[in-house]
Amino acid sequence: MTNHWIDFKNADVVLAIGGNNAENHPISMKWVQEAKNNGAKYIVVDPRFNRSAAVADIYGPLRSGTDIAFYGGLYNYIIQNKKYQEDYVKNYTNAPFLVAESYSFSDGLFSGYDASKGKYDAKQWAYQIAEEVVWDTAGAFAWVNKPGTPAFTPPVYKKAKTDPTLSDPRCVWNLMAEHYSRYTPELVSSITGMPQDRLLEIYEAYAATGEPGKAGTILYAMGQTQHTYGSQNVRAMAMLQMLLGNMGIAGGGVNALRGESNVQGSTDMAMLFHIIPGYNPTPAAATHPTLGAYLGVTTVPNGYWTNRPKFIVSYLKELYGDYATLANDYAYDMMPKLNGKNHSHISMFEQMDTGSIEGLFLWGQNPAVGGPNCSQERRAMAKLKWMVAVDLWETETAIFWSDKANVDPATIDTEVFLLPAACHYEKMGEVANSGRWIQWRYKAVEPPGDAKDDLEIATEMVLKLKDLYEAEGGANPEQITKLSWDYLDADGHADVRLVARAVNGYTVSDGKPVKNFTLLGADGTTACGNWIYSGYYNNVDSLEPQDQATGARNNEDKPLDDGMPAIGSYLGWSFAWPVNRRIIYNRASADADGKPYNEAKAIVKWDGAKWLRSDVPDFGYTKVVDGEAVAIPPNKTAFMMNAEGVSRFFASGNADGPFPEHYEPFESPVDNQMSSQNINPAITIVESAAATRGTPDKFPYVMTTFRLTEHWQTGQLTRNLPWLVETMPKMFVEISPTLADEKGIVSGDNVVIQNNRGAITAYAMVTDRLQPFTIGGKTVHQIAAPWHWGYGGTCAVGGIANDLTPNVGDANTMIPEYKAFLVDIRKQEV
Amino acid sequence: MAETAIKYDSSKCTACKGCQVACKQWNQLPSPLLAEEYEFTKSFQSPLDLSPNTWLIINFSEVKQDIGIDWNFMRNSCFHCTEAACEMACPVGAISHKDNGAVVIDEEKCIGCRYCVASCPFSVPRWDEARNKTFKCWQCFDRTSAGRAPACVSTCPTGALEFGDRDEMVAAAKERVAELKAAGFTKAELYGETELGGLHTIVVAHRGLDAHGLKRDPKIGVTEFWQLLKPLGGIAAAATVGGLGFSFLMSAKYKRGEFTYDEATDTVVEKEVEK
Repeated sequence: MTNHWIDFKNADVVLAIGGNNAENHPISMKWVQEAKNNGAKYIVVDPRFNRSAAVADIYGPLRSGTDIAFYGGLYNYIIQNKKYQEDYVKNYTNAPFLVAESYSFSDGLFSGYDASKGKYDAKQWAYQIAEEVVWDTAGAFAWVNKPGTPAFTPPVYKKAKTDPTLSDPRCVWNLMAEHYSRYTPELVSSITGMPQDRLLEIYEAYAATGEPGKAGTILYAMGQTQHTYGSQNVRAMAMLQMLLGNMGIAGGGVNALRGESNVQGSTDMAMLFHIIPGYNPTPAAATHPTLGAYLGVTTVPNGYWTNRPKFIVSYLKELYGDYATLANDYAYDMMPKLNGKNHSHISMFEQMDTGSIEGLFLWGQNPAVGGPNCSQERRAMAKLKWMVAVDLWETETAIFWSDKANVDPATIDTEVFLLPAACHYEKMGEVANSGRWIQWRYKAVEPPGDAKDDLEIATEMVLKLKDLYEAEGGANPEQITKLSWDYLDADGHADVRLVARAVNGYTVSDGKPVKNFTLLGADGTTACGNWIYSGYYNNVDSLEPQDQATGARNNEDKPLDDGMPAIGSYLGWSFAWPVNRRIIYNRASADADGKPYNEAKAIVKWDGAKWLRSDVPDFGYTKVVDGEAVAIPPNKTAFMMNAEGVSRFFASGNADGPFPEHYEPFESPVDNQMSSQNINPAITIVESAAATRGTPDKFPYVMTTFRLTEHWQTGQLTRNLPWLVETMPKMFVEISPTLADEKGIVSGDNVVIQNNRGAITAYAMVTDRLQPFTIGGKTVHQIAAPWHWGYGGTCAVGGIANDLTPNVGDANTMIPEYKAFLVDIRKQEV
Repeated sequence: MAETAIKYDSSKCTACKGCQVACKQWNQLPSPLLAEEYEFTKSFQSPLDLSPNTWLIINFSEVKQDIGIDWNFMRNSCFHCTEAACEMACPVGAISHKDNGAVVIDEEKCIGCRYCVASCPFSVPRWDEARNKTFKCWQCFDRTSAGRAPACVSTCPTGALEFGDRDEMVAAAKERVAELKAAGFTKAELYGETELGGLHTIVVAHRGLDAHGLKRDPKIGVTEFWQLLKPLGGIAAAATVGGLGFSFLMSAKYKRGEFTYDEATDTVVEKEVEK
């Protein structure tokens, strides 16, 4: 999230889209309700009338996978009706930037498309360059000359030409207005299936937050991301917030409601193949053969990311300790490198299927229920030589080989180990919530039986591997033997407090924690496991969590400076990355002169001589001159993580275009009404997905998956708990009365849902909560089923919805398209 | 102890069922362990009804609209009536009012006669065959007497459930009804202020009593009592044991007993009051 849970109360309009916050994030409603109590409107847009919709002021039904059409129409409405926050758009976005002539768009394709590869050349989506700015290595960038700093070629900042009047036809603003002028209310209604009057009612209500001083917040989840254009959905929300001046303000932002209590922490710590901790890119063998090459290529030429070398060298020093020196490129060679192949979830299972991955370590994951096209994933796992599942329960994955999974165990040779893990009450450590708050929690009880906490399991394994590689050698043994693992207590057990201090970062010479990441160096003098967390565990006198920022429990809502409003930041409660900032991009909450757009909910304010703060400012607001802190007067750099210093309507960083454009899902019952490109032209389709792609003649109904309040993910934590099972015991599928009539189905019938990937049974729940859509004049039925059930356990077993979902992913991230695909449905013959 | 009440505001309820589960957890009420013991309810309402081991459920009802539905939720549990039919019907004095207005069943004294089951206008008490006892919500008297809110209230994420001084709850509910009416919920109604002498569950029904399935003007009439008395003759033993309750029932139209819990002796003390 750019903002945080409590901040929802500051909104004038709350838009829940592609997320079902009342059901899946119940506590969010505490703050949404508080906003409503203060007069806010709550809008819910979803294919299903869900429990969020039940308490919404306005509900808009939208066919799964048509969010970009909805946003495109909304931009068009905002621009046509001049509802945008003009001051904000001109000062804090790239609207005035001029775009090179190489950029064009025609019939669903952006320039630079190579049909033979199915990929774009994003270089065509560039700005017109005004000047090239090189780093001043005698001034601001003098740190590159410090002894110990690896040599690299500083990147050159290509400063764009701008037209502050927004009149140049090649400025981003005009290209954007032109692009989205095609998204008329008629067409958007015809694509999304949302009745036009309801569409316009929602547009009007949300666009009203474009008035300076008004705030609109967007709450979203997997309904936005799990599409073949999921990244563009997210970008689309950011663009909406920029248009309306809703980014960086109290009650605004783009707020991902994370689906797991610590999934924010897992991305921060880079449990993904394409990044390393702190959102730095994973080195690639071809383009980053040396540390110098990596730093030269990946360091952003302007803005705060110019500091990347400091974070990377400090990270390497933490990973490899004394072994990492300037002479050996800080052990950069030890780091695994990308080999040009995709290593996302979908691709990994393809590789298991083809035999290039032989072993699998699963840590709190249950792909036998949670993966896309997961019967295919179970078949792929059957080709593994070994598999280790670390979990609290015997998951479906741990017994994918058993007759419960409807396979013959005699046909499967995979050796499977199940390691019992401690649950969150049985271990100490931190958890990062969606609002980036890193909160420490303590062990309440000892884990039962042989269960161990994950860190202990990892530590035992690392130490054993080190011994084995020392004794026996092997391929690249130094990657393991040189790995620093100084997290052990006197008894040789892992101590999570030592890990936390290493994540925070410390000075190599004395081991003392650094105050925060501004003190990290690229010269090998500091070590830091994850720069964005730096500052959360920095007490130089104590190792105890209660003495650290992350363990802080001051429940007082107090602004940083007197005279500023209390806006629910609770700065003394835990630690929010970065540097305890609760609302990021908060410079944009005030105008170019530093006057807050909303005084009552001001975050930062220039009083003529200094900045007053209610939250930690997200911009350079002081500098040290001759040992004294001196205020930096207002400038327009509100987005310092972007080289441009502004936010981007037009962005070249995506694989599938600089503007979000509507395409149909991989499987859709209709043709794209926006262009002749039916699906996102830049997606990768793996072989097994291509083989199982369904067409509407055989599979005419759109299906989506969803979660319930009563259950959790693949159901391990809830299907084993009778109190929760009782509240939602059986797998079901929601069907509209119209479709039920057509198919002769009544509520309570057993039905079969089927496509080329599988067939599952479920109980029919016939309900008016689903209604047919009219798409391009044609009736399209949508059905929906939860994905919590499986064959494991005794208390609640049922069909696996993900046996039907396609293993096709987003063009940028490869997140699977769980949320829109085709099926057929029929009553089960008795 | 001042009278207290739970306030349920349907307009703030997301039907997350946190209250339903918290009730079972705090009161350690078991749920079936095997999949075969569960039925598909055809609804998000599950289980469909109260039972000896389920003292609180959220009711769901759907009313189709042009776009979407009105999804009306209601907390279904004991209302803790001031004029509690169950208490009046109990022949053995097993049901009593606490000082704060909570109506509780003393499991030790309950003889399983089910008069309370038959008499309750809301069908709240449920008889358990195996134990031959009747069970229902007791408003977590163990918590409230220790200064804490009932389990259901303390888990509610949205403030749909609140607990406090009954007069304050009623006043807040009235204010909320007015607010909701002004916001376009023209049928919003308050429930529990006067019904059956005043309930200790106060409800803000934002789409009106009928939409939320609340019984308008619930009564415990004399006729019902006489119907109740018929089976009583058939259970001589029960009638004998419950002599006190029988005579009390006979006079119910004219006066009622006020039962108070005496902490010192752990017994219920009854005194008669003129109606």
